[in-house]
Amino acid sequence: MDTFIQLTLNGLTLGSVYALIALGYSLVYGILKLLNFAHGDVFTVGSFIGFGALQLLGGSTDPVVPLWLLLVTITVAAMAGCAALGVVIERFAYRPLRDAPRIAPLISALGVSFFLAYSLQLLFGAEQRDYDAFSMGEGVLFFEGFDIGNVRVPLLRIVIIVSAFALMVMLWLLVNRTRTGKAMKATSYDREAAAMMGIDIDRVIVFAFVLGSALAGAAGVLFALRAPTFASLGFIIGLKGFTAAVIGGIGSIPGAMAGGLILGFAEAYTQGYVSTRWSDLFVFVILIAFMVFRPQGLFGKADIRKV
Amino acid sequence: MGDRFDDGDLTQPLEGAAESSAAEGGTSPAVGRDEWVARDEERRARRGGWVGTVETRLGVVPWWAWLTLFVALVCLLPVGVENGYVRRVAFDTVIFMLLALGLNVVVGWGGLLDLGYIAFFGIGAYAYAFMASDQFDLHFPTPIVILLVTLVGGLAGFLVGLPSRRLTGDYLAIVTLFFFQAFLTLTNNGDDVFGHNVTNGPNGILDLDELSLFGTTIPRTTSQGQFGVGYLYVALAVFVIVYVALRLLNDSRTGRAWRSLREDALAAEVMGMPVNWLKLMAFAFGAATAALTGTLAASLNGSVFPQDFEFPLLIAVYTMVILGGAGSQAGVVLGAILVSVLLEVLREPGDSRALFYGVLLLGLLAILKPSLRLAVVLVGTIGLGLVARVVAQAVDERWTSGVAAGGGRLAGWAADWVIVPETLAGWVAPVAYLTMIGAVLVLTLVDGWARIVLLVPTLYLAAFVWENVMLAKPEPTRYAILGAILVATMVARPYGILGEKRVEIV
Amino acid sequence: MSTGEKLLELRAVSMAFGGLSVVSGLDLHVDEGEIVSVIGPNGAGKTTLFNLITGIYEPTEGDILFASESIRGLEPHRITRKGIARTFQTLRLFLNMTVRENVMAAAYGHTHAGPARSIFRTPGQRREEREIRALAEKRLAFFGERLMGYRWDQPAYSLSYANRRRLEIARATATNPRLLLLDEPAAGMNPKETQEITELIGRLRDEGYTILVIEHDMHVVEGISDRVVALDHGVKIAEGSFDAVATDLRVVEAYLGTGGTARK
Repeated sequence: MDTFIQLTLNGLTLGSVYALIALGYSLVYGILKLLNFAHGDVFTVGSFIGFGALQLLGGSTDPVVPLWLLLVTITVAAMAGCAALGVVIERFAYRPLRDAPRIAPLISALGVSFFLAYSLQLLFGAEQRDYDAFSMGEGVLFFEGFDIGNVRVPLLRIVIIVSAFALMVMLWLLVNRTRTGKAMKATSYDREAAAMMGIDIDRVIVFAFVLGSALAGAAGVLFALRAPTFASLGFIIGLKGFTAAVIGGIGSIPGAMAGGLILGFAEAYTQGYVSTRWSDLFVFVILIAFMVFRPQGLFGKADIRKV
Repeated sequence: MGDRFDDGDLTQPLEGAAESSAAEGGTSPAVGRDEWVARDEERRARRGGWVGTVETRLGVVPWWAWLTLFVALVCLLPVGVENGYVRRVAFDTVIFMLLALGLNVVVGWGGLLDLGYIAFFGIGAYAYAFMASDQFDLHFPTPIVILLVTLVGGLAGFLVGLPSRRLTGDYLAIVTLFFFQAFLTLTNNGDDVFGHNVTNGPNGILDLDELSLFGTTIPRTTSQGQFGVGYLYVALAVFVIVYVALRLLNDSRTGRAWRSLREDALAAEVMGMPVNWLKLMAFAFGAATAALTGTLAASLNGSVFPQDFEFPLLIAVYTMVILGGAGSQAGVVLGAILVSVLLEVLREPGDSRALFYGVLLLGLLAILKPSLRLAVVLVGTIGLGLVARVVAQAVDERWTSGVAAGGGRLAGWAADWVIVPETLAGWVAPVAYLTMIGAVLVLTLVDGWARIVLLVPTLYLAAFVWENVMLAKPEPTRYAILGAILVATMVARPYGILGEKRVEIV
Repeated sequence: MSTGEKLLELRAVSMAFGGLSVVSGLDLHVDEGEIVSVIGPNGAGKTTLFNLITGIYEPTEGDILFASESIRGLEPHRITRKGIARTFQTLRLFLNMTVRENVMAAAYGHTHAGPARSIFRTPGQRREEREIRALAEKRLAFFGERLMGYRWDQPAYSLSYANRRRLEIARATATNPRLLLLDEPAAGMNPKETQEITELIGRLRDEGYTILVIEHDMHVVEGISDRVVALDHGVKIAEGSFDAVATDLRVVEAYLGTGGTARK
């Protein structure tokens, strides 16, 4: 039972980070029908920006600001930096290809992803960067917390899970309650019709990139609080984020959240009960199963072919 | 107009008043609107001057003549060049050419995004290792192995494509990407599959058999330990066979159907072409080519390791296909040569510096033409560099006392012009790199003299980044450049160097 | 012309996207050798009807029979092979392929040379290629001067609008169909070209094709139809000779709105 609780906790932590990344894929896919391969690398850039901000503020052992402000600042820095990066990527790598065959922006995205990952390696090396969350506030993130049965739930996990869900709620409010958010929904439903209704499509697309990339930046920081980050991390994380989006039904916001959590749990339980070696393979099997039996995902609607 | 022609056909009105009025006089037959549009496009596409003449003349040469010429030249290469390293690079380039040909079937002809392509290359290599080494104590004769590997590769491609049959391009991309990941997981952890050692894990499989054809074993290395040139000829022979086979395939009912489905998949389906089946076929042909190539590579290397088949290789092959021109066989072969040589040159700082400045100069010349603007940019950039360096030296000696990487005269010149500090403060590299990228991106947005003025500091900044950041780290530099080439080609010239410009919506 | 044999028959076919019903309970038949026109205002479900027959959509209810055999749920290319071909209202040519290739490609379904035979250029494959080429040229020659020889090697995108419509028809006939579905063949043409299309459709019937056509131009409909079917909101509202349908109150109403009857 204790193992189960521990694994569930692992899955929840991992899943909430996956969900944040999946949201970015879904937002962009919903509007542009573009699989943004570079999204995983934006996530990595976010974790590096967070690391840089952490160093600027004095490092984890002896920061110049209180712990809560430190965490908020590095997260906001990563979100802002990634949002800007997202805008630049959209403007220069995707916008010129908006009317090209669908394979063109995909290849461009592949190039961007590769360029980002190796630029990071070029500038900062291939070695791992550790936030050293253990040293923050003399270990308060690890020693504080509460117990479920015999399983300790440290503060760090609570911080990650709560922030991830807070961000998702904020996104949900942004999309459903603001004018731009509604314009976004309309655009994802029918781009041409939305344009004819006077919606500024360019603005909506940029907005989607800003939101998605900012979430990826936040996910980068939240992820790196627990595990070290490195230049090529984005590849596999991006792959999982996308899988989560597909499982949930790509283009759907609650779907991305559910998909992220499902994937997190699946991975945690496989690692705990089966084997760590094959857990990636298991994720792959889940994805294939979804694609064959329910390609529209949990929350997606079956596509109607237009002629 | 009627009495000018005695040809009866032409006295009849052709396309109504509007179109016959567009007819040109003289002895040529009347030209309809469609004909006029087509000829006008040709006229516009054709370049003037002697370049245009040469281009037109060369256009008449049939593809097989080009192929023969090309293969003959490569065959002669080992005669003139004794250097084992160059021969080895030539072999690797042929391998890349084969990989690019195979990917071209999938991407260029099938219009599918296959991100697991390198896994099939790996499957071919591992299949060879299984069938021709002590791993399972199997030592099949080479022709049988090659045949089996090609079939296995094609079958694997078919099976991987199967679950994504009904799905759009992006889904196929993600399934194949995962397949790639699964392949790497399997090969890396294959030393313990339920207690059986299959792939020997990260340690790879060593001591593969050498190729053996018609009773003769082809030695991997010469007696002096140099690259065995026999492998180059085998690879070339395979290249010719694959090139011709795919060419003939493309020039048939199947090829026509591939082109149709790339143009409009739904219309192709409604015209009786089984789109899903055709896609699977393109996929399988690509996979079979990759697997066959894997056999060649493994037989020369004499070993296979999981790390031989990683993501950067996939991007390299994609860059070849996209840069050369997806859909054009000659194009992707050219792309393979360019990228393969590029990757080789970038390994060595001296060569890579020469390439960098050479490409910059040629690029400027191509874009600005020999003009006043070019002179302004060149003089401005050199001047800016000299001034900047003097100022930097005056402020602090150590800012200019660094040594340019590599060596030779060019390195000396570079160090006299570019600021090369003894040690680079941690923040300098990221800031300079980001500013350079920002400047390049802004350059694409501005025009006229603003562009010329901005070009000067951008060029100098690029040289600074090149000398101080990129030369020191060839590995990430190579791949970052590949990524940049992919994006730049897609945005600026999506049909690549030799691909045909396509009309999307008219 | 009609032999009275039912070549195509729709039995109570309904189609709904989500909750939206586009075609409901439609019964329709086309006899061998007949030309049937489908008319109706925009959004009446005419193109959906073609998409249902060609298998792009599968009907939510009902059955579709071709030569007394159900084709419901078959993939579009299989339906084409059984002998149904269509053109598209929006023109979906293979624009970057040559005019001749466009037509040759459509012979895929009734030809056989696979990849292996193509690579080895077997005698059979070469003979088949020649036949495909000859077929394509014959189909193009059907249009006489309009798609003359010197245009066959041009890319399809260089054709004028009217010629693209003709090429669509040539391509459809290259699948060797028994039934041709023409989706607004006269759309966007000038009166002279429209007149030509009308004659052309008659000639196509003489060649032995059975034709189901969607058309807005009433002169064309009047000129060609053995029978006219009027649709509105996915329901058949009238059927019969042109004169009968054109004067049918419900048809007039559908075109002019409910106010139409009041004014009449």
